[in-house]
Amino acid sequence: MNDTKTASKPTSLSVQESRRRFLSKFVSPVFGGLMAPAVESMEQETIMTLAEEPTTKVAASPAKATPGISPISGESSVIDQMLADLQRALEKRERGEKVRFGMAVDLRKCTGCRACTVACKAENMTPPEVSYNVVLEEEIGTYPNVRRVFMYKPCFHCENPPCTPVCPVGATYKREEDGIVVIDYDVCIGCRYCLTACPYGSRFIDLGKTYTDPPQPYESSASPEYGENRIRVEGGSPVGNARKCHFCIHRVYRGMLPACAETCIGRAIHFGDLDDPESVVARLIAERPSIRLKEELGTEPNVYYLL
Amino acid sequence: MQQAQRFLKLTAWGAIGLVTLVGMGAVVIRALNGLGVTNLNFIVPWGLWVAFYIYFIGLSAGSFLMSTMVYVFGFKKLESIGRLALFSALIFLIAGMNFVLIDLGRMERFWTVFVNRNLWSVLEIEIHFYVLYIVILTLELWLLMRRDLVVCGQGNDWKARICRILAFGSKDVSDESVARDRRIVRVLGIIGLPVAIGVHGGTGALFAVVKARPMWYGPLFPIIFIVSALASGSALLTFVLAFFAGKGMAKQERDELVLLLGKITAGFLAFDLLLLWSEFSVGIYGNIPEDLEVMRLILFGPFWWVFWFVQIIFGAFVPLLIIFLPATGKNPKWVGLAGFMVVVGIIGVRLNIVIPALSIPVLPGLDEAYTMLPAPTQAFTTYPPVILTWLNRFAILAALGTFGIFGLIALRRLRGQEAYRFQRGLVSIGTAVAVLAIALFVLRWVGGTAVTTLGLGISGLDLTQTPIGGILGQTELHSFYIPSPNEWLSSAGLIGMAIIMFAVGYMVLPLESKEGH
Repeated sequence: MNDTKTASKPTSLSVQESRRRFLSKFVSPVFGGLMAPAVESMEQETIMTLAEEPTTKVAASPAKATPGISPISGESSVIDQMLADLQRALEKRERGEKVRFGMAVDLRKCTGCRACTVACKAENMTPPEVSYNVVLEEEIGTYPNVRRVFMYKPCFHCENPPCTPVCPVGATYKREEDGIVVIDYDVCIGCRYCLTACPYGSRFIDLGKTYTDPPQPYESSASPEYGENRIRVEGGSPVGNARKCHFCIHRVYRGMLPACAETCIGRAIHFGDLDDPESVVARLIAERPSIRLKEELGTEPNVYYLL
Repeated sequence: MQQAQRFLKLTAWGAIGLVTLVGMGAVVIRALNGLGVTNLNFIVPWGLWVAFYIYFIGLSAGSFLMSTMVYVFGFKKLESIGRLALFSALIFLIAGMNFVLIDLGRMERFWTVFVNRNLWSVLEIEIHFYVLYIVILTLELWLLMRRDLVVCGQGNDWKARICRILAFGSKDVSDESVARDRRIVRVLGIIGLPVAIGVHGGTGALFAVVKARPMWYGPLFPIIFIVSALASGSALLTFVLAFFAGKGMAKQERDELVLLLGKITAGFLAFDLLLLWSEFSVGIYGNIPEDLEVMRLILFGPFWWVFWFVQIIFGAFVPLLIIFLPATGKNPKWVGLAGFMVVVGIIGVRLNIVIPALSIPVLPGLDEAYTMLPAPTQAFTTYPPVILTWLNRFAILAALGTFGIFGLIALRRLRGQEAYRFQRGLVSIGTAVAVLAIALFVLRWVGGTAVTTLGLGISGLDLTQTPIGGILGQTELHSFYIPSPNEWLSSAGLIGMAIIMFAVGYMVLPLESKEGH
């Protein structure tokens, strides 16, 4: 996340760099995770000013910021490895090559704290009844042999998404270049066909509700989604539109991990380019037994669950 | 007598007008405030309005298909209701489109479906079908009325003025011109036939292609839609002809036509029931959890009565009884009533198509994963006991029982007395309904989650373990959606508007004047 700052404020590079090294070397992942939302809120303004800049320009600069950190084996550096993965993916994109963003979710590491859900809400300023990710719970076995399974569930950004072909206006589609399934808020008519078509319940309808009345600044200010800075309370889109997880596309193209992946206190959420065999996600999927939900439907989700 | 009738008529229209006015107010509120006024949520994103949308599209397509019987297949007996069928097809298509419109999250963008195109979307394909269909319908209707419009436009009153405008400058009243019109209508009807099948079969396909919902997914669904459309279309014509239309026809002719339409309705309805049986028996035998859960929700969930009472008894069983019983089947008023019951009953069919399939979350626990359902919806799991406390239930059962017993006694007394045929029919149907209702309450009692709805106050008895509940599974059934007041009012407004449009059109347009065929 600190890489963004380097993109917009090159002068503060050394400070950022040292602080990050501090974090990665001495602070436990748990603590780092707790830090993330706080740091993020400080950066909110930076992100907003960035929104106007073309993404390629932004993507280029953080690449220089990371080479100093070489992937170290061991848990504490997973975030750094993922950031490095992301830089390689963004470089690939700059060369015009395709990437395939995806996730590997370690079910053993998920504690069900729902920091991902909260981080997503804070990042994307989602209203009531909209939550791009949720944590499903299931109890397996009976006492005393009992276990609770927590399952973080974002949008799976399927290879064959059933939600996109049904859209009558083509407002939602899978991006060729990085496999992210997005919604064009200016085109969506709010028919909600995609909500019925998603086998994973990953789509939501923005009913125009707010948590507070009158809306407090935390929900009346501009949301950074898609770098479009939309203000919801004015009644325009995305109110009345379908909404969904977009892997924090506005963060990813500035070299940052999706808010949920970055926040995850157990480092259960891994994000990266599935087409890059060196990436953390690709390696985890190759090494560990993994499943994808409802494979029988042929949707080919890009989010894998490590067992 | 006449005065009383006029008074009744005025009251009825006044009531319809008032409901429509209030309802349109609700539509305005919805337009201004967005989808927040509904109880829709991410688990049940389609509700009452989508159910009414497919209901009216079905009525429309059914009516149109009935008209093709006349103009394409030359089924002369139905000739006199051909125009009426086309007109109701037009009005109800508009009603259906209105329901889609108020259901859109961003209403003001409805027109963009013609600009932003995704031809692979069933919904977009359907929009093309609707446009094509409305053009064919209007053209056919106009061509069939053309000469009558020219004729009625010769006067000087307001009606003649409207006729002149609608005639679009046509002045030809010769028989050759009518013959030419009929040839064009035949061609249009031939084109219209597959279009009408596309309109409603395609509306079924909207649901049938959604593989995320096993209840919807499958090739049977579009066919069910077409058959139930035919049933509702013919039932509508039966009802309208028996009670309102056909003033210009000889009584004998009109009565015979009503009975014929009743028989046609019964045929389609029986076929529809067969398809329903196929769907449910295979689904329950197949025991795919998502599919079975939906069927349990329909059969024994909080809205079990929509299936059993509205859809099966009111919408199918009693009408079939009326049409086939000799005592009532020969009386056009009874048959017309049967038609009305089918028209209403199909609403239950539509509701049960849309809402239960969505009420089972696509992933177990999705509804509890994040508490984002608004209070009224979440409180809904405790809804049935509030509505039906055990006292209530007892009262209903007692009333039904009394009605059933007295009905049987009355039937015995009336036996063999020809003069009381009508009364006998009435009583026998009432008794049948009461006995069936009691049977259903018992069925519901043994059928699954009876604890919450019909425990009759017996505590300590785990009714989820009862025979049928045991076969179909034992988990508690939830529903995540109950239409909000605005949804009901808006629907009432749009339905009232359709009825008024229908009545006005019927008064003004020459929909059934006799002309030489």
